[in-house]
Amino acid sequence: MRQNSLRCLLKFGSSMLAYLVLLIVSLTFLRENPDSPWRIPVTIAPVIPIVFAMLAVIRFVRHMDELRRHIHLEAVIIAYLATLILCFSYGFLENVGLPSFNTMWVGVAMICLWGIGQLLANRKYQ
Amino acid sequence: MKNRLKVLRAEKDWTQAELADRLKVSRQTVNAIEKGKYDPSLSLAFKISRVFNMPIEKVFVDEETTISSALHSE
Repeated sequence: MRQNSLRCLLKFGSSMLAYLVLLIVSLTFLRENPDSPWRIPVTIAPVIPIVFAMLAVIRFVRHMDELRRHIHLEAVIIAYLATLILCFSYGFLENVGLPSFNTMWVGVAMICLWGIGQLLANRKYQ
Repeated sequence: MKNRLKVLRAEKDWTQAELADRLKVSRQTVNAIEKGKYDPSLSLAFKISRVFNMPIEKVFVDEETTISSALHSE
């Protein structure tokens, strides 16, 4: 199990490193070539290593022991539902004048809520 | 589900970590099963019975069977 964790961590880490590099390259390219016909593929390019990072996470969860997998499932459900509630709530608040925001923050919120969900789900089995 | 995991582990003088290693699960899983907070899957239950070399019924106590046996004996 530890070998699998290490392998997944390496895959995830290298994917995130590739994401960082591509992000820097992409932002630099877009700053220097704002009207380039390549701006759409270049702007989307950092997503590719994120897909590999996601596959590493899926593989990691598949090889987890059953209780930890169960805890992750509960955490993901909590994160999904809490994000949904926040998005709907903010959507209603936008109707009364609150400003719109970048949708990337939805992903950030989901990751943070996944962490909180893990803490809550873990407590049940302490 | 009640079980005798803690007692059986103590008889073998194993720590939770040692039992977890033998079962290829985390120590948290062993702890949660012992406290009755998590019911293992069928495959894990069979693995546990194999590690202790006894039938599943000797490790895990099915409360419904226990209650119905008690009622029948009356």
